[in-house]
Amino acid sequence: MMPVLSILLFLPIAASVPAYLILRWRKSAGLWFTLAVALAELVIALYVFYFVYANFSGLGHSGLGAYALAEQYSWVSVASFGVNYLVGVDGLSSPLVLATALLTVFAVIGSRRLIDRSEPAYYSLILLFEGAIIGVFLSLNLILFYFFWDLVMIPMFFLIGIWGGDRRKYAAMKFMIFIFTGSMILLLALMAAYMGVSPTTFDIPSLAGRIPASIQYLPLLASFIGFGIKLPVFPLHSWLPDAYTQAPAPVAVLLAGVQSAMGGYGIIRISIGLFPQAAEQWAWAFMTVGIVTMFYGAAVAILSKNLRSMFAYTSIAGMGFVVLGSFASVASGSIIGMQGAILEMFVHAFTAGSLFMLAGYIQKGLGTTDISLMNGLRSVIPRAGTLLVFACVAAMALPPFGSFVAEVLVIVGGIHATPYAAVAILVPVIIGGYMLWMIKRAVLSPPTPGAAGGDMHGVDAAVLGLYFVPLIIMLFFSILVLGPSAPVVQHLLQLVSH
Amino acid sequence: MEFILAAVVALSAAALGSPLLQAAGRRLKASAYASIAALVVAIAMVAANTAYGGSVSYFGRLLVSDVLGDLFALVVLSVSLAVAVVSVYSSHSSQNMPSYYSLLLFSALGMLLLSYSADLLMLFVAWELMSLPTYVLAGFDKKRAESNEAAAKYAILGALSSAIILYAISLTYGVTGTTQISGVVAKMASEPFNPLFSVAILLFIVGFGFKMSIVPFHMWVPDAYEGAPPAVATLFATATKKAGFVAAIRVVLAIATVYALAPNSVFTLANVFAVLAVVTMTLGNVAALTQKSMTRLLAYSSIAQAGYILVGFAIFAYSQQTGLYTYNAVLGMTGSLFHIVNHAIMKGAAFLAATLVLIQLKRSDLDIYNGLAKRMPITAFTLAISFLALGGIPPLNGFWSKLLLFLSVINTPLAWVAVAAILNSAFSLGYYFWVIKRMYLDQGESTERVNEPFGFVVIFAVLVGLMIGIGLFPQQFIAFAHAAASSLFT
Repeated sequence: MMPVLSILLFLPIAASVPAYLILRWRKSAGLWFTLAVALAELVIALYVFYFVYANFSGLGHSGLGAYALAEQYSWVSVASFGVNYLVGVDGLSSPLVLATALLTVFAVIGSRRLIDRSEPAYYSLILLFEGAIIGVFLSLNLILFYFFWDLVMIPMFFLIGIWGGDRRKYAAMKFMIFIFTGSMILLLALMAAYMGVSPTTFDIPSLAGRIPASIQYLPLLASFIGFGIKLPVFPLHSWLPDAYTQAPAPVAVLLAGVQSAMGGYGIIRISIGLFPQAAEQWAWAFMTVGIVTMFYGAAVAILSKNLRSMFAYTSIAGMGFVVLGSFASVASGSIIGMQGAILEMFVHAFTAGSLFMLAGYIQKGLGTTDISLMNGLRSVIPRAGTLLVFACVAAMALPPFGSFVAEVLVIVGGIHATPYAAVAILVPVIIGGYMLWMIKRAVLSPPTPGAAGGDMHGVDAAVLGLYFVPLIIMLFFSILVLGPSAPVVQHLLQLVSH
Repeated sequence: MEFILAAVVALSAAALGSPLLQAAGRRLKASAYASIAALVVAIAMVAANTAYGGSVSYFGRLLVSDVLGDLFALVVLSVSLAVAVVSVYSSHSSQNMPSYYSLLLFSALGMLLLSYSADLLMLFVAWELMSLPTYVLAGFDKKRAESNEAAAKYAILGALSSAIILYAISLTYGVTGTTQISGVVAKMASEPFNPLFSVAILLFIVGFGFKMSIVPFHMWVPDAYEGAPPAVATLFATATKKAGFVAAIRVVLAIATVYALAPNSVFTLANVFAVLAVVTMTLGNVAALTQKSMTRLLAYSSIAQAGYILVGFAIFAYSQQTGLYTYNAVLGMTGSLFHIVNHAIMKGAAFLAATLVLIQLKRSDLDIYNGLAKRMPITAFTLAISFLALGGIPPLNGFWSKLLLFLSVINTPLAWVAVAAILNSAFSLGYYFWVIKRMYLDQGESTERVNEPFGFVVIFAVLVGLMIGIGLFPQQFIAFAHAAASSLFT
């Protein structure tokens, strides 16, 4: 059988070097090559997604049998210290892999007009970044997971630091220090998990349900901090506004869209999956963190004077839903909340992605993203203005966009756990409030006389429209994500309750 | 045995012969090539010993050939080889080149013998053979005041540490009546506590600690590294430092298997090593963050790395005292030995990159590193990779050894060491990334390309290849370190 997952994982990483060389040789050829790699990756990701969807109902409940596809080789084996190369995909990882592949295609296309220097290194780093993120989602061995987890931050440091805005160096250093500290703390949890079972192992399927409850608490906390910095949750978020606003738009798309999903994925797969009893005991605390994060993000977004900063804090609020939904399920035993969290990660990739990409086009067209300086985008840059309205509606979680389904599921799941979680319903209201205010102020207002700006090209506008396709599909066919993820969530919740 | 003898003969012949080449009126560089050839032969011989040697002792059990010795011999000789190659390019007055290489080879010979020493007197002789030439090498730029200062400081503290070791040896002989390390261990196995012997152990730790550059015996390190010719500083950071570790393993850890320092559970060897480890890594990292000169930054980072290596010693001593956590101790010592190998590669790469910058741009302050990626791309890339490896970021070699070290204590009463080490690793990225930021994100004074000599480029390529290659496929190296570590367990 073909090692589909390894191809999926190493295609972009292996292609990053030829991409660099071809771009050095001839720019247009290199751009096509990069796009072809990203599209090939998307095709494989679609196949994997389809394969998981077609087979999820017949899977086992434990061990590797619970994964639709898996590959395993021995990597390091000395005496009784062993690390396996173990990758697998199930209903939790397949939507995130698909979102990564799709967003990378969008980001590569979007970079064409927004990135105008040192292209060879840029596209090469984008491909490396894509491979590393997909590696995080596919790894079922903690060390392999940690390899890719750390590998993600190296290209991101340079992508922010070289191609970012005016304060890019500061943002890149801050990003690096926060993320690396988080990943070192995460490593503590991973090592404790390894040493916690006998015989020792790093394989997630063999670890799940075997770590004694008494030693789960500190590793759970360490892993939550590690993942929480990436997600981010309040109060570990302070790197994020700098990174998201200073990164070039296509990179911000990947940061907000898929890098944050790494944190949510880790919380579900590792924090809850490996330390379930402790997670149940402390679920109320983490739910509180989730709710506080949502309100904090939404509240600070109101005060934002800049479009990018508003979107960054909106993204923080969205990640609060992931935390709330995941731990609501752990507390209540109902699968609804965590299902909502998984769907939220998938749709958030496209809502946040479209917002940051539009902010990039507006910056390019008007030279600013300061809300007070923008007037009448509807007539100055009609394409970007119109798309901005759609993107904002998606971020408000209104139909016809799938974000509606995700947030409803999370809130219902939260209410299953505790009625107080119903306050979360206010968050989309607040987001709707400031988004509408911003639209009225910047898009629908009369333009300043003589104002002119460069609008998006038709092709770019059409590509941006594609961000909404998965969102609309998720309103009507959310079963595509919810179906395969249901057995995964059920299996996790069984670990909690035994 | 015959392999090691052949290595000794090759090194001695070249060390004695290289001044003669000058006297015979040959070209000055002939001595350099002869030395490089001798080191290559010696490395090949040690490698052959690793493959075919087996564990034997000879010369009346003065020397023992085992995997541990092979591991250290390979490390120190490889580093010496790298130093010998790059020294061809450094700017010493070429009149003195033959004596430079002669001293370098004598020091390498001392380190080779030290790796296999099984007797305290043999160990001391090898220790001096290694140290004395380095005092001269530190001051080799005789016209530079800093180089003289470095040599003086290093020689005085080095002599002090030798004296301390000698005193510890005489105490040990007084208590046990033998200088054979295995004899000392056998004798002390039956003796529960002897204050004189405990003092001797502490003096060994102090004496070896100078070379290992552990806090508080590290004061000479930044000055000596900065003042010495840069290639020689590489030798200090990556080779003579390792010699300190092999001596500590041969003597102190061997004794730790049977003797617990004090009759209570607080003042134990495990706790001594644990505290030294945490203090060393913390002080090294904090001090490194405040440095303005690359050499000093590397010196303090090197001190911090010694702290990580000691973590394995601590869990080994703990396990030997309590009889618990044997699996952890094996992991820990494997990690320590693997980290020693990795540290030689990572630190060697970093020091040689800094050496090249100093040779070509005549400055070693951090400002000259601004925008270096445009001026010296290969050097900047090597430095960046070595810093990432030192920080313990996968997929590079430093990650694996740190993983083993931290794993070994995470579920033991020494777990606080793991937490401290993790926080230190996170902290150290502060200054490692600061330099990477300078090289890749900041604007330099100039963007003019600077020549990167071929010899350096080859060595950089080998070292970067090793860092990435071991990071991706560590199996053989961990197995080697594990084999060496296993020989410590009786």
